Amino acid sequence: MVDGKTTTVSVDLSIPVQADLVVLARLTAATVAGRAGFGVEDIEDLRLAVEELCLSLVCSREDGRLHLTYECEDDSITVDCSYEAAGGESGTPGRDADDLSLRILDALVDEHGRDVRDGRPSAWLCKRRAAATA
Amino acid sequence: MDQAFHIADEEIGGVPVVSASGEIDVATAPPLRDRLQALTTSGRSTVVVDLLRVTFLDSTALGVLVGALKRCRESGGDLPLVITEPRILKVFEITGLTGVFPIHGSVEEAVGSVS
Repeated sequence: MVDGKTTTVSVDLSIPVQADLVVLARLTAATVAGRAGFGVEDIEDLRLAVEELCLSLVCSREDGRLHLTYECEDDSITVDCSYEAAGGESGTPGRDADDLSLRILDALVDEHGRDVRDGRPSAWLCKRRAAATA
Repeated sequence: MDQAFHIADEEIGGVPVVSASGEIDVATAPPLRDRLQALTTSGRSTVVVDLLRVTFLDSTALGVLVGALKRCRESGGDLPLVITEPRILKVFEITGLTGVFPIHGSVEEAVGSVS
């Protein structure tokens, strides 16, 4: 909080859908959360949650791009991820995230969801900073 | 800690032990799946999987382990895991898999449980 105003940091990342590049999505999540002062436990939770968010959209696809936006406010980080099919065409919605992914997301983040925006399959999550314990 | 994925296997007391290290994700899970598949389809019904040096594990990796466990149990064996890292244990706990896999604190203990 600066002068009573909420501080927001926004980072955009766009990566080709390639198994060995999904690591960039979770590295960015860790970096954004670390710079925002999130604790180690929260950062590790976010890393895994962002991985699952990406996997829920990528499924078995091997083309197109993932567009991620990380928005960090004082006590929370929101990650929005959308899939753009190759050639900029609208992507078909992916399968529902599998049961293991859903259990992981349910456990590690405060909110998450899926929708279709501008014809693109999208998924998002919100992770709030863990309350300090006495 | 080294994040690079590496896989090795050996035999201890007649039991195959596959040891993984680094991050197991959508990119690195296939070699683990292939190694476990090769063992379980070549007549080895029980395989110990050592995850002591694994630093990250996602649902793709869990899927590989669940698939291997299923094959082992279908042939009368098992797939004991070796895990001590709390972050890795947490992934099994939140997905309800601690009640599915036998989980041990050391390779010796895991091998002893099936020898």
